[in-house]
Amino acid sequence: MKKNKVIALTLIATMITGLCLTGCGAKGAAAKGGGKITIFQSKTEIMTDLNQLAKDYQAETGVEVEVWETTGDSYYSDLKTGLSTQAGATLFSLQPGAESREMADYLADLSDLSFVKKIGSGMADEIDGKVVGIPYTVEGFGLVYNKDKVDASKITTTADLISYLESSDAENALGLSQEDYFLIAHILNAPFAVQQDPDGYLQSVLNGEVRMNDSKAFQEFAQIMEAIRANCKNPVDITYDNNCGDFATGKTAMIHQGNWCTGMFADYDVTFDMSLAPVPVEGNKKLSVSVPIAWYVNTDASEEDQKLAKDFLEWLYTSETGKSYMMDKFNFIPVVEGMENNNLDPINQAVSEAVISGNTIPWVMSDWPAGIVTTDLSPITKEFFTTDMTGAELVDKLNDAFVAAK
Amino acid sequence: MKIGKGWYALFTAPLMIIFMIVVVIPFVIGIGYSFFEWDGLAKHAATFVGFSNYIDVFKDQQFLNATVRTTIFTLISVVTVNLLGIIFALIVTTKLRVRNVARTMLFMPYLIGGLILGYIWKSVFQEFFLSIEWGNWLTDPVKSIIAMIVVTTWQLAGYVMIVYITGIMAIPADVLEAAQVDGANYMQTLFKVKFPMLMPSFTICLFLSLSNCFKIYDVNISLTGVGPNYQSEMFSLNIYNEIFSLSNFGYGQAKAIIFFLIIAVITLIQVSITKKREVAL
Amino acid sequence: MMYYSKPFKTFLNVITVLFCVLYLFPIYLILTNSFKSRSQMYENMVALPKSLSLQYYMSALEKMNFFTSLKNSLILTVVSITVIVIFASMTAWMFVRSNNKLSVILFDLLVATMLIPFQTIMMPLMQEMNWFGFTLGIKMTDTIPGLIFMYLGFGAGMGVFLYHGFVSSIPVSLEEAATIDGCNTWKTFWQIVFPMLKPTTMTVIILDVIWIWNDYLLPSLTLKSTANRTIPISTAKFFGQYTISWNEAMAALVVTIIPVVIFYLACQKYIVEGVAAGAVKG
Repeated sequence: MKKNKVIALTLIATMITGLCLTGCGAKGAAAKGGGKITIFQSKTEIMTDLNQLAKDYQAETGVEVEVWETTGDSYYSDLKTGLSTQAGATLFSLQPGAESREMADYLADLSDLSFVKKIGSGMADEIDGKVVGIPYTVEGFGLVYNKDKVDASKITTTADLISYLESSDAENALGLSQEDYFLIAHILNAPFAVQQDPDGYLQSVLNGEVRMNDSKAFQEFAQIMEAIRANCKNPVDITYDNNCGDFATGKTAMIHQGNWCTGMFADYDVTFDMSLAPVPVEGNKKLSVSVPIAWYVNTDASEEDQKLAKDFLEWLYTSETGKSYMMDKFNFIPVVEGMENNNLDPINQAVSEAVISGNTIPWVMSDWPAGIVTTDLSPITKEFFTTDMTGAELVDKLNDAFVAAK
Repeated sequence: MKIGKGWYALFTAPLMIIFMIVVVIPFVIGIGYSFFEWDGLAKHAATFVGFSNYIDVFKDQQFLNATVRTTIFTLISVVTVNLLGIIFALIVTTKLRVRNVARTMLFMPYLIGGLILGYIWKSVFQEFFLSIEWGNWLTDPVKSIIAMIVVTTWQLAGYVMIVYITGIMAIPADVLEAAQVDGANYMQTLFKVKFPMLMPSFTICLFLSLSNCFKIYDVNISLTGVGPNYQSEMFSLNIYNEIFSLSNFGYGQAKAIIFFLIIAVITLIQVSITKKREVAL
Repeated sequence: MMYYSKPFKTFLNVITVLFCVLYLFPIYLILTNSFKSRSQMYENMVALPKSLSLQYYMSALEKMNFFTSLKNSLILTVVSITVIVIFASMTAWMFVRSNNKLSVILFDLLVATMLIPFQTIMMPLMQEMNWFGFTLGIKMTDTIPGLIFMYLGFGAGMGVFLYHGFVSSIPVSLEEAATIDGCNTWKTFWQIVFPMLKPTTMTVIILDVIWIWNDYLLPSLTLKSTANRTIPISTAKFFGQYTISWNEAMAALVVTIIPVVIFYLACQKYIVEGVAAGAVKG
């Protein structure tokens, strides 16, 4: 009996140590902070080129760069789990705004990078006076329209837009699609952004001091949403893929999208000219343009690793190789002085011109309470599109969601 | 049979220790978090709030609705999954010429994991159904649940089929022979001989399908999402959004614990009922 | 199955085949769209592709670094399943045969934890695993052995549950006879009991292979290095938040499931064997 016990215990002990040893064996190979840059970022579209860039960087500087994989949907939860368990990447991406403020304690000060002063005004993410986020690019959205079918110069007010929606023969006049951001976030940005002081207005809404329905911009927004429901294909029936397909094949003359969708058009033989027009709430003439994501350096990484990540950013934004990747491969719109992209397609060109001329309104949506689009705004809007709720009721419900989420 | 304590430890301890480390300890830590208000970031302090998270759960109408919805969905799905699974298992254990092909084909849906299936089915329920004028099922409160039941059944029926096949082949041939000699017809053999002997398989399959349906997440997020007015939101998605989208880590954990208790009670009832039948027969 | 007449049999065969074809329609969609460009897919999702060019397969394989990922997935799956089968069968058998209070409690605990949604323990689990790395110097994250360890823990519940059900149904007399013949417990289990568990072993293997082979969440949390990636992680890049590279994603999915299908075909022979043996007698 005793003998058995001893045998059993020894076996267990051996087994556990065995398992531990296999762990230890692997440890030697990839110790933490081993002078390697790890990158975790959410723009999966540039992943293939980014991996190539990592190889080039290693060839030029001898520093190893490892790009971690992710899907667009699971990125934020993976990032959070990683950071919270001290297993985050050295260099990662976030949306400047609500996301970067939540993570502020993890963001290193990047003010001393040489090119920081050359970043377009208001584009670097600053928290407490320190630059913590370096913008990837800018993105803009509005009414993407087919120049053969729509004369944008005639759509300068909400009334114009609505009469266009009502007049056009096709039921496809203005397409939204069912994905949360395309359904409500982007289009709802406009009435926020045209306020005198967008940030202050948002705070007042969150604090319950003003009601959105009292603002003319939101009243017009409500009319537009009603017109879309009455005259267009029901957005909840359309996917982003089909939304873009309808536009590229000429079935829809106008969709509410941004410069990201030009990648979708590449597979089609688009035979017409297109451009980007503002959503004309309260006579707005500006595009919603902002920095969608920015680079951040993890303060939990070792000093040495943080330095490596900063060197990498320096290289990416100032060296010829780095710049050519950003402009030619990632096809970004320049955000730092001294970069130029000459192969922009018409939509990106429109965004780029808006940036240069300062003809932009901000993305107030970046400052909305984190997660609110998916968890509240989208279900409410879908309800609007599947019932006979009025536009004013929609705005009212959205308003309640903002107050509740504060 | 007499078994020494040493042998007992040798056979069970390794797995149990690893199981404790990997599953039980994190779960207990998770229970601990449910008493705090915390956003899930290590650098941010967590505030101890006692049972207030739990009290809030019962005031959360959206979560309570998801609870009812998930329960209804689960009860229906468990029936359809097992009904189809047992029919499949019976078909492919006959001498039909096509049984081998059928066995592979019916199991295929389970081989393909992940979100992509949800997207494929989405185009069926949305684009295809719109094109044949059945309307968009995914935005309708009732039909969207039916759609989820269809996809879940489609995916899991092959899975439980495997367990039922194992059960059917474990039935001794002489028992079936005896039934035939006694002149039993197919239905009699099925209900009087095969099903009673399949009771252990029923226990297993009901449990597996019950727990899988309750935890449904992939199908929910890729097929319907939260849906208009939260009408398609299930448990897991609600908890996931609470923790990762809204950053209410402690509150989300409290929901998860309650969710766990609900499933545990239901499945324990199920297991004890079917187990009793096993003994009785 | 002597109850059926010949025409009825043919009828059943046809019906079964028709049903299977309908049942596999979504899989047809995956297959056919893996050959289409975005515009072709937009035009008609159901139609056959215009050409069977393998370009999306080639680019998908290249982007996902297929052979390294395949190797990692194979190692991970095979080793994890082997340890799950060994330990789960031993534990389940001992639980049934010892029949004491502790066994009942532990078994219930194992079964109950199968109900825990993974998302709720992933954060504490990762904290604990990193603690192993920092404090004890045992690196559990970003290593395949570490992940196997976790799979053993997560697979324990279902493995023991399945074996438990089957062991309860086999008579204890054989084991007693073996003990009288002088076999110790170890030998009795491996020489007498384990071979009898074969059908359940096959079930556990089939169900767990598919789970581990397709699992995304757990590996995505632990395996970060390029060298360690499994197939599901390597295909993640085809899924942007909105822009999904359908053709490459579907091509990747097709090549991912081919090994599992082959494996399943090989395995099901074993399951059928028993059935066939019974059928011949009948």
